[in-house]
Amino acid sequence: MVGPNMRSKKATLIHHFLETSAHSYPDKTAIIYDQVRASYSEINKSADQLAGWLIRAGIELGDRVVLIMDNCLEYIVGYYGALKSGAVVASLSSDLKPDGLVPMLRELEPKIIISSWKFERLLQATHLEVSEETALLLKSPKLDWSDFHFDTYSWEDALKGEEEFHEAEALDESALASIIYTSGSTGKPKGVMLTHKNIVSNTYAICEYLKLTDKDIQMVVLPFFYVMGKSLLNTHFAVGGTVVINNKFAFPTSVVKQIVEEGVTGFSGVPATYAYLLHRSPLKKYQEKLGRLRYCSQAGGHMSRQIKRELREALPAHTEIYIMYGATEASARLTYLQPDRLMDKIDSIGKPIPGVTMKVLDNNGVEVAPGRKGELVGYGPNIMQGYWRDEEATSRVLRKNGYYTGDLGYQDTDGYLYVYGRKDSLVKVGGHRINPQEIEDALMATGLVTENLVAGVPDELLENRLVLIAVLKNSDCQEVEILRECAKRLPKYKLPTQVKLVRALPKNSNGKVDRAACLRLVGL
Amino acid sequence: MNEMTQKIRDFVVENFLFGNNNGLKNDTSFLDEGVIDSTGILELVNFLEEEFEITVDDEELIPENLDSIDNVVTYLQRKVDA
Repeated sequence: MVGPNMRSKKATLIHHFLETSAHSYPDKTAIIYDQVRASYSEINKSADQLAGWLIRAGIELGDRVVLIMDNCLEYIVGYYGALKSGAVVASLSSDLKPDGLVPMLRELEPKIIISSWKFERLLQATHLEVSEETALLLKSPKLDWSDFHFDTYSWEDALKGEEEFHEAEALDESALASIIYTSGSTGKPKGVMLTHKNIVSNTYAICEYLKLTDKDIQMVVLPFFYVMGKSLLNTHFAVGGTVVINNKFAFPTSVVKQIVEEGVTGFSGVPATYAYLLHRSPLKKYQEKLGRLRYCSQAGGHMSRQIKRELREALPAHTEIYIMYGATEASARLTYLQPDRLMDKIDSIGKPIPGVTMKVLDNNGVEVAPGRKGELVGYGPNIMQGYWRDEEATSRVLRKNGYYTGDLGYQDTDGYLYVYGRKDSLVKVGGHRINPQEIEDALMATGLVTENLVAGVPDELLENRLVLIAVLKNSDCQEVEILRECAKRLPKYKLPTQVKLVRALPKNSNGKVDRAACLRLVGL
Repeated sequence: MNEMTQKIRDFVVENFLFGNNNGLKNDTSFLDEGVIDSTGILELVNFLEEEFEITVDDEELIPENLDSIDNVVTYLQRKVDA
């Protein structure tokens, strides 16, 4: 009898995380999602069945499989199953509209698209204007597909097949595993190409510094198609931990309650996640019930001092806070700040994770002295191979020193790194170069706003003028009061000339603030 | 269908369903049925606040108030009458 693919050795390919945990902890709960509880062996068996089906459907090494699903058990089976088959998995944002999806499908030329009934409307609206060879594998389809010219298969049928399949011999750690589109604030989204080695090395480094074990239970509110969500999945599958999926972050009380009920040990978010939790959930009231919460981690952009301090106060003393820094181009992570240095290095992104080196370079590629600003450049086994079918963009960021992050920063004399702002986001206002992040931080420090964004908009006299878009903590606060408090903290030329108040800043599907949507919201 | 229900329905269909209202019932759960995701709920809240001139309090951000067209209408009527 042929059993599922399991292994006891250390992982060299991403799906080995699942296989080794299915070997070491077969009956352990790997995934909790609403009423669903799935063990490692169940997930591994389904992933084997899917891999077998994909290979029979003609998937060969390097073929693209597109995954469009929200966080659910099938996503995980789809992800590991497609990797087992030797395919390159491109998980696309479940938030895409047809206009965004079509160009991605055109350049990916996927052989199979795996999705579910939730996205049937989206898929039908695109008319799947892609190559004729593309087939669709759908979980529980509800719409009629008979008018469409491509093959459609049912997920349920695909998972009835045998578990046996042969992993391609040529599949090794240098093989391309994943294409992840960056949520880049400007220009068209770029597909970051990551190999098995990129992701496996980064996963192990993260497990090491977070000291993850099979006892860890991670609450995931970030989407798996986002590099950080994917990293939460892989790290916990690498150690045989448990992942709790909660897709109801819009109702934050339900998230905090589930953290308590499931004895969650780790929670992760982007800055907006924590701003929302602090100001729209009963987190503080639940402090005494969070006895098992070992740590919270934050990545995905700069989080203000104000939020860090409020979070430190709201969480129990034993819950450590990890501030982390990375990029999709780095498989997720580049640096982290040790929790015991949070208060004395509060603005720092910490030091490089194991296996990674970071340098601060000037425009000539020369390392600058501590305290001097330059571009942050990362080097290590986690750095991507390039952008999918975009050599020009690749050559701009991948150079002999490593990956040029586009972030300006510096290092202090203790070797701690700081991000000052994005290289391309400095705004020229009447002869001054202004860093919007600095003003946003000053605004947060007033304690009057829960989140805010400062943007430059074109101005005839000044070249640009600064506009503040803010969410008030108390709705009875006046605009003039905000400006008065700002004036105490900032020189005159850094003061916004226009204030727009909104109820919430629009976010993209990764939970990050969407700058373009913010400006649209206030009619700019 | 009253005017309030129609307005909410139109907003949801236009913004989240690409104009294809196939199968959207008034009691369809937005989150469970994948009509709106977490980010979308906030867009819906913004829409309700502007369109109906109400303020949605933090404690009111619960599925019982916001997770279907019916729930939203019941909640709105309570807010508008208050």
